[in-house]
Amino acid sequence: MRIVIAEDDPLLREGLALLLRAEGLDVVATTDSPEPFLEAVDKHEPDVAIVDVRMPPTHTDEGIVAAVEARRRRPDLAVLVLSAYVEQAFATDLLAGGAAKLGYLLKERVGRVEEFLVALHRVADGGTAIDPEVVGLLLARQRPESSLARLSPRERDVLALMAEGLGNTAIADKLVVTEGAVHKHIRSIFAKLDLAPDDRADRRVTAVLRYLEAAR
Amino acid sequence: MTPVNLMDRARAAVDALERLVGGLGTAILAIGTLIWVAAVAVTSVVGVGLPFAHSAARAVRAAGGRERARLSRWGPEIIEPDPLPPGLRAARDPVVWREFAWVAVHSTWGMVLGLLGISLPLYAVQDLTFPLWWTLVPPGTGPGLVFWYVRGLPGAFLVCLYGVFWLAVCVFGHPFLARVQAWPGRRLLAPPAGADLSLRVAQLTATRAAALDAHAAELRRIERSLHDGAQNRLVAVTVLLGAARRQVARDPEGADELLERAQGAAEQALAELRTVVKTILPPVLDGRGLDGALKALTADSGVPCKLEVDLPGRCAASVEATAYFVVAEALTNITRHSRATSAKVSASLENRTLRIRVEDDGRGGADEANGSGIKGIRRRVEAYDGTLTMNSPPGGPTTMWVELPCGS
Repeated sequence: MRIVIAEDDPLLREGLALLLRAEGLDVVATTDSPEPFLEAVDKHEPDVAIVDVRMPPTHTDEGIVAAVEARRRRPDLAVLVLSAYVEQAFATDLLAGGAAKLGYLLKERVGRVEEFLVALHRVADGGTAIDPEVVGLLLARQRPESSLARLSPRERDVLALMAEGLGNTAIADKLVVTEGAVHKHIRSIFAKLDLAPDDRADRRVTAVLRYLEAAR
Repeated sequence: MTPVNLMDRARAAVDALERLVGGLGTAILAIGTLIWVAAVAVTSVVGVGLPFAHSAARAVRAAGGRERARLSRWGPEIIEPDPLPPGLRAARDPVVWREFAWVAVHSTWGMVLGLLGISLPLYAVQDLTFPLWWTLVPPGTGPGLVFWYVRGLPGAFLVCLYGVFWLAVCVFGHPFLARVQAWPGRRLLAPPAGADLSLRVAQLTATRAAALDAHAAELRRIERSLHDGAQNRLVAVTVLLGAARRQVARDPEGADELLERAQGAAEQALAELRTVVKTILPPVLDGRGLDGALKALTADSGVPCKLEVDLPGRCAASVEATAYFVVAEALTNITRHSRATSAKVSASLENRTLRIRVEDDGRGGADEANGSGIKGIRRRVEAYDGTLTMNSPPGGPTTMWVELPCGS
């Protein structure tokens, strides 16, 4: 897996590269601001880009803008955005173009190396990784009139874990139920959100997007 | 009359003399303005002067502004009027006409009073000291204000007595003279009774907005330094710890190196937290007052820095904090940009106003438009109704004056 890192804090940038290299991953470039990052993406054609949200010059949302631009240039690029705090607007900006191959995690999750690597691989393989904190925030702001209101609390738990990017097995583990039960919940969620089985879009992703949409 | 009372009288007279001299200065300014206005008015009759009409109004306003500032120092504050209307509409502004009336009165009457105020004490001194030098002048002639024939040493002593009389006139008359000189300005330059309050409200609204802006900027600064500093360091700690845990089994030595780095990052986080906490409200201000805080600040300065403080009382905590930051920021600027070899900070408290001066012998050329540092200082100062003046010609030296109303 070829990785490009964009992070303006030197200590963190080096720490991240060190950690990934120790895991046998191929960090092809580390950059400290959006411009060199986009150049590195063009030049090295990485599989995954790990991007910090706040970068020079204004230290606000440069990372999000750069990530969106990188995805525009190379639609198959997986992007994992790291942020010091969760900001719903950033998440929705990022997910506007679809949730596949996208991740949005709090920076400290990197310290839980196993979980971080799982999320990284999941994103690289076409999945999604949304921080539980982001999901919680979105859940808290959800409006009652949305179609999500029709979901039972259990179904909402399942959808939240789907939004984090977990697969059925992982969801079953987390909720301490059987995979069969998870399946049943997911079918029910699809039905309540009017997602027909013959839809061409990936229903899981659509459900998650609907979920994130609702929180806007 | 008791001696103490007499001392007070003398001090009041010296004060009055200072005011009369200041009034003479603005009177000279008023004469210049009067000449310019007259020239513009005359040439306007044939049309040539019309383009200069606004500059004439500006000159009137500037002269009036000078007098307002001067009078405000010596008594109740005279509030600045609204800015001049643009173009020829300035000529219809009643405030400008009142200011012009003041220019006319002060350039003549104020001038005469000012000259009188200066010459009387000089003549008095001349007369008083006459017995010491009467032999040096041709017999019969007397010093200032003596119009009779002076005969010998007794005559000289008579002149000396006459000097005592004039000195008494000065001591008792000067405060009255200064009041008379200031009177037209107080009447004509103060805003019309109705406008007074609304102007003050507008001014306070503006300073309050500036205060809120400064507050927001301050919060942004704190947020930024927490985020870029301590928070990032702590994230690095977790990342390094995570990496170390993965390494422990495979490569204990490598893991130890990572742990050491993590420890370093944690120490940095602590250091940065300390710095941020210190800039929110420096504990030294609480403990040792502005005096001690400035001492600590100048002692830590990157450029050798002298300190002169005359702070007989305390100000509101927020004002002291502002003063502290202004000096801290100024010294940082000096260290970073000025290439100065020495600097000096002076702070004094007088008439409920905190005055700060920071100077250096660097290369000058400090420009508010380029340096956000100076802009930040101005924002903070104006938030507390204060003023910032800066003089930094290319080649140096640079001096910055800050005045802050004490607020308590």
